Amino acid sequence: MIGGTGITKTFRQRGGVLGAREVPALRGVDFAIPKGGAVSFIGESGCGKTTLGRIIAGLETCDAGEIVIDGVAMSSLSHRRRQPYFRRVQLVHQDPYSALNPTRTIHQALAAPLALRARQTGRPRAWADERAGELLGMVGLDPGYVLPRYPHQLSGGMRQRVVIARALTVDPEVLVADEAVSMIDVSLRLGILALLKDLRERLGVSVLFITHDVATARYIGTDGELYVIYRGQVVERGPVETVISAPVHPYTQALLSAIPVLHGLESPGEQRVVPVEASGDHPSDDTSGHPGGHPSDHAGGCLFAPRCPFRTERCERERPVLGHDGDTPQRHACFHPERRSVVAVPVSRR
Amino acid sequence: MTSTIVPETGAAAAVRRNFWRGVWRVMRRKPSRMAGAVILVVFAVMGIFGPLLYPDPLPRDTSALYAPPSLRHPFGTDFEGTDVLALVVTGTRYVLLTAVVTAVITVVVGAGIGLFAGFRRGRWDTVLMRFTDMKLTIPGLPLLLVLSTVWKFTGAVEMGLVLGLLGWGGVARAVRAQTLSLRERGFIEAARGLGLSTTHIVGRELLPGMAPYIAMNALIAVTGAVYAQVGLFFLGVLPFEANNWGVMLNLAVFGGGALTTTAALPYLLAPLLAILLLTLGIVLIVDAMDEIFNPRLREE
Amino acid sequence: MASEQGPPGVRIRGLTVVYRTPAGELPAVSGVDLDLAPGTITGVVGESGSGKSTLALSLLNAVQPPGRIAAGSVEIDGLGDVVALGGEGLRRARGRHVGYVFQAAQNSLNPLKTVGKQVLDLGRSHGVEDMRGLLADARGLLGRMGLDGARVLDSYQHELSGGMRQRVGIMLALVLNARLVVLDEPTTALDMITQATILRIVREVHAERGLTTLVITHDLGVVAEVADRLAVMYGGRVVEHGPTRDVLAGPRHPYTRGLLGAIPRLVGDIGEARALPGRPPTLADVPADGCVFRDRCPLRMDVCETGSPPVVTRGSRSAACHAVRDDEGDRRAVAATTGEDQA
Repeated sequence: MIGGTGITKTFRQRGGVLGAREVPALRGVDFAIPKGGAVSFIGESGCGKTTLGRIIAGLETCDAGEIVIDGVAMSSLSHRRRQPYFRRVQLVHQDPYSALNPTRTIHQALAAPLALRARQTGRPRAWADERAGELLGMVGLDPGYVLPRYPHQLSGGMRQRVVIARALTVDPEVLVADEAVSMIDVSLRLGILALLKDLRERLGVSVLFITHDVATARYIGTDGELYVIYRGQVVERGPVETVISAPVHPYTQALLSAIPVLHGLESPGEQRVVPVEASGDHPSDDTSGHPGGHPSDHAGGCLFAPRCPFRTERCERERPVLGHDGDTPQRHACFHPERRSVVAVPVSRR
Repeated sequence: MTSTIVPETGAAAAVRRNFWRGVWRVMRRKPSRMAGAVILVVFAVMGIFGPLLYPDPLPRDTSALYAPPSLRHPFGTDFEGTDVLALVVTGTRYVLLTAVVTAVITVVVGAGIGLFAGFRRGRWDTVLMRFTDMKLTIPGLPLLLVLSTVWKFTGAVEMGLVLGLLGWGGVARAVRAQTLSLRERGFIEAARGLGLSTTHIVGRELLPGMAPYIAMNALIAVTGAVYAQVGLFFLGVLPFEANNWGVMLNLAVFGGGALTTTAALPYLLAPLLAILLLTLGIVLIVDAMDEIFNPRLREE
Repeated sequence: MASEQGPPGVRIRGLTVVYRTPAGELPAVSGVDLDLAPGTITGVVGESGSGKSTLALSLLNAVQPPGRIAAGSVEIDGLGDVVALGGEGLRRARGRHVGYVFQAAQNSLNPLKTVGKQVLDLGRSHGVEDMRGLLADARGLLGRMGLDGARVLDSYQHELSGGMRQRVGIMLALVLNARLVVLDEPTTALDMITQATILRIVREVHAERGLTTLVITHDLGVVAEVADRLAVMYGGRVVEHGPTRDVLAGPRHPYTRGLLGAIPRLVGDIGEARALPGRPPTLADVPADGCVFRDRCPLRMDVCETGSPPVVTRGSRSAACHAVRDDEGDRRAVAATTGEDQA
């Protein structure tokens, strides 16, 4: 069980003459990844979801807040003592090409962590080779074909499977998959998603899935939990199917409304939410270039208010916190939650 | 899924075998590379076995001073009637030994410092790079001249040591820059996440990616070292040693008047030709380094 | 608008583009016939190695060595056969007749020049005399796309966000009044909401300026949102072509069907969706004879090994598959496939 409370992170951006500018990436995020569970972080680029994933994987530290692994608070440990804990969280990179060393064969890539593992657990060296084949089989690859090859000789899908197999060498509890299918060919993406789901069921490994594509989150497991993150704050959190079919936060609704509709197969949701367009110089639909450059930062109001079509005067004064409100099964951070049907509906086939 | 697992040692051997097969393939792709390799092999053979082919000291034919090229003396003779070809061949060992020592030191020290600074970053990086910058600002030749007044480089190895210690700055800077960019790559992060040792990460993950670059630098250091030592001997700042290319040049120019008369011309041209060929061999082979150490280019 | 004529039509016939490799010349696009009707948006969908980007470059006769157009013609109204054009004529055609928004347009701007300076450079290289007018057009276009035109023209690339750069790319493609526009992967690396905005802008600008538009993408969703007609490419061939809604509602080619079934959706039974077996072909392993899709096809027959499937056209739709030659073909159930990603 891995969880965190109040995770806060601020990046210092080196500015021009005015010196450093502080850009909040995470504003007090709480999360919990149950054993064997599936958790998805959803949001635009720059919303902090990747930073959060990296903090959970121990690749970055947070400014405030606490990560707890197996009941041990990480802040109480030295950097060195922390490492074995964070090894239980393995990151699966977005780009399967850069995640594998181009100068080393797949056998070499798997042998190094397995040899270490063998030493730690007192197993014979032969075990490492046996295990390499076993792991590749587990991710749906033929060891005889894959082991002697270099990464460039494999397709994107196969490479991503190798990356997953390598992460499994240390028997992790959590796989953090950051946009793990966005660089894979469309026809193969479901295969990778199905593999992650399968690993959950077979090995009891939890999956933390980070993506901007909400639909893929369902394929890790419909029993999973969805966190919708907007500018470093979780604005809605709940069971995947609930959040998708009955979202209550306008940002979640805008995100779901933006997913392309397969006209002919589906008809668009009736209450699609389109975020408010920019007032002149700051196109509000796109924060990636200017994270933190929003006027509302200092106003203390709802972070989404400037783009929210349903904002009221209260939203500009006060910032809502994540909580239960009314009878919704999900938590949300909105003063005016309302269910809207925004998701495309399949039309009955002829 | 049936798995055919090769024993670990077998796999490692297979990888090594494949590597050499790949090298052979890369070399055969261009005739110029083979030519370069042949030239370097000839020089290596000369360096290793050359001194064994001739008696020591070399015989002098006092009846034929500055003899023109002939069948007996393809490059003529020198001022004491010694065969010029024999001088060049026996002089190869000193030149090559110095060059190899220089290359090894340049690469080991340069790559070591560059890797360490780039990987550790922070304070170590700052200190090492200031040191490197200081070293880079010291002009090499004047320093060598000053050094040679207090220390006669008695042997090839000492010579190489000095040249190497003077030459690693550029490599260190470049390797550091590459390390800084490579360490942000996913596979380095993954290795760290898997708990692999720093030795493994630096030696097995970072270094191979820089191998083409380091190999190129080593080869270029060889040419640099050849020029530097030949230059020093030519200037006459180092003790006289008859069968050294630089000394030959010096004697041909200042003693034999090769620039004004034709008699000593072969004596001048023979070592020059040797230097030219050696450089050519290296230049021809440098272009193969990228393909040899990059699996994608090698396996194609 | 500057031109009173209608939007141009494009007729691609027998287009074959080959790339020189150590293994000989291999076709990236082979024998493609495709019509872009005037005033329509056509979406070309394909995975890596389908030849879709090469096809787009052929529209400008801009295939770079080691590639070359080996056969075929690309007729553009008002311009003639682009394949026959060369030199100065070709350079003028690019930009004036055909606007091209490059893949990753987000990163294709010159980082050292302001956007306005790049507009002026473009105008100069095309001999535009009224530079003021050109800048005014650029400002107008940017304003139309929801940006502050004057401010963007004064900006450098790094001062703009991804979505803003993409809009600048579209502006640069249109500012010389090109009526045929090619967008290569217009929304890759953009967020969902930004993508939706860009797609809406593409649709609106297309209608307002009377364009013929070609959108190249790997994402069926993008095509579904913007395109009137959909062409599906696989292994260098157009395997299915027709009105977008019709193709999505009733795909005929097994690849189109498989691709649709492999897209994660927000609703419905997730058990129905599955990945296609195998992997997309690369330049080196596209089969020379027979159907290019047969290795991954659930309807594979003996004839697929030897004969290239003929393009069967029915009404406004066409498909190249042996299995849809008989009328029942397109109603066959997709056989169960596994997600094995292995050659």
